[in-house]
Amino acid sequence: MKAQIVIVAQHTSGQVDPVTYEVIACAQELGRKQNFASIVVVLGKKTRGLAQEIADTCGLEIIGIENEALEMYNAEAYRAALGEALMQLHPAYIVLPHTSMGYDLAAPLSIDLKAACITSVEAILTTDHAVSFQRSLFSGKIIAQIVPCKTPAVLTIQPGAWRAEKEKVTHTVEICITQMHLKPTSTKTICMKPSEHEGLDLNQADVIIAAGKGIGNEENLSLIFELAKIFPNSAVGSSRTVCDQGWLGYQHQIGSTGKTVAPKLYVAVGISGAIQHITGMKDSQVIVAINKDPNASIFSVAEYCIVEDLEAFIPALLDEYRQLKSGQK
Amino acid sequence: MKILVCVKQISDTDDIVRIDASRAWIEYHEKTSFRMNRYDEYALEEALRIREKYPETSIDAISLGPARAVSTIRKALEMGADNGIHLLAEQNSFISPSEIATLIATVAKPKGYSLILAGVMAEDDMFCQTGQLVAAMLGLPCATSVIYQERFENGKTLYVEREIEGGQRECLHIDLPAVLTIQSGINRPRYPSLSNVLRARKQEILRLNIKDLRQPEPCECLACLSYPQTQLKGEFIQGSLENKARTLLRVLHQKALL
Repeated sequence: MKAQIVIVAQHTSGQVDPVTYEVIACAQELGRKQNFASIVVVLGKKTRGLAQEIADTCGLEIIGIENEALEMYNAEAYRAALGEALMQLHPAYIVLPHTSMGYDLAAPLSIDLKAACITSVEAILTTDHAVSFQRSLFSGKIIAQIVPCKTPAVLTIQPGAWRAEKEKVTHTVEICITQMHLKPTSTKTICMKPSEHEGLDLNQADVIIAAGKGIGNEENLSLIFELAKIFPNSAVGSSRTVCDQGWLGYQHQIGSTGKTVAPKLYVAVGISGAIQHITGMKDSQVIVAINKDPNASIFSVAEYCIVEDLEAFIPALLDEYRQLKSGQK
Repeated sequence: MKILVCVKQISDTDDIVRIDASRAWIEYHEKTSFRMNRYDEYALEEALRIREKYPETSIDAISLGPARAVSTIRKALEMGADNGIHLLAEQNSFISPSEIATLIATVAKPKGYSLILAGVMAEDDMFCQTGQLVAAMLGLPCATSVIYQERFENGKTLYVEREIEGGQRECLHIDLPAVLTIQSGINRPRYPSLSNVLRARKQEILRLNIKDLRQPEPCECLACLSYPQTQLKGEFIQGSLENKARTLLRVLHQKALL
């Protein structure tokens, strides 16, 4: 098996994580642009089922690497196993999702392989003589194009930046499963456990009013809750910063490290629109954004954009709503 | 136990960031205020809590940045760090995570830290690389996105919980010396005490010019910067405050959302 692009699959509890197919879509685009072939590596205790699922979905060749120590994600074991496999494959690119697995692994792999490392990639740009990788800086206010100065390059792909492509696979796909010997690791993965912040089911809400750091202070949350009250079956969501400030519990958090939601209506208030947040709400049916900064990136995903300070706008909206209600009576 | 905390200075507001004339890096507006990266504040607070539990601990705070970065190191001292180290980068230009990590690792190596802490990422560039790179360069184990940590009685191993996707935590044992990158929400960072503020004001900060250190080889370079081309999907609702409110309510009503 020979391939210039190696994709590292991510899976949990025997299921391929959907983000893996986004990474495959990115690798396929890179492959088309550079005329490179891609291969998927799956690590685990048992990989046959996972490998077959990926093969049936994308038609790429798969390598399964098996060892007891790969049963749960363990940085040390994954790094050792991948390091060995990659030494043999000699790829030009190693592509991972930008997740707690991907960014945990990417940087150390780049050291082991004497490689470049570009994280959180959102697009690929090619010119006659170079390939560069695009990523956001400053909450999406600025776009940077980064060029690897070394081969190979380890890339992590921002979840949400590519859409998973599912093709009908008609050809037989080669799957190669190997048992790999690994030295015992000093870092031991003990178990997975659910996070302590649960209890609010944002996925059940038809309408989500979400607050970002742009609300300015904790007191303004009352405006957010007031606004939520006028909608039936609504809930209050937030960006991570709002939870970090202690203004709301983490059960309200929407985005790549929080919940992914797709309500009928999503009203983003004071949310700048970093891709980490967008990933968690972009599939909402109708998105309204209220932000005093006309250049906020949230406006690029919103259907209705309102450039106003929430402290003035929400009371005005509530006033209008009450007038409308009383007029109807 | 000796702890090193990596702290980065970032701009407080990102709405006034501009690309410089050469499109090579950004320039800050003169009114820009700077502060410590929030994730690094959590990392520093975690170090302070370890010292409260094990008083023999000493904490160094290190920051790479231009002259103004001293104020962030000073802030670390005010919060309670014992010593400050400033890696002075005179030029206002992009420095890649691998270069930053090489410089930090060079300084950290002879000091023999038992624990190196950093924020899981910087709020401004969100690379999520520096801590892991420092660990790999020093040959230390690393856990990222740490949301809980506790040292075992043997003093050699940490119990660590990593925040991963889907509301899960990955629990692991990691041997010291080690590097942890800290996720926000692990603690509530403190406000500086008056006595620490007074102490920090007088304290010397070790300054090393990065020109005098081993020059790291760049692995990635920044080709150029641009502003995103906002492809508007929707429309900006125009008019007075009241008009905007009325229009929005009408639209939501028409779509049977209200």
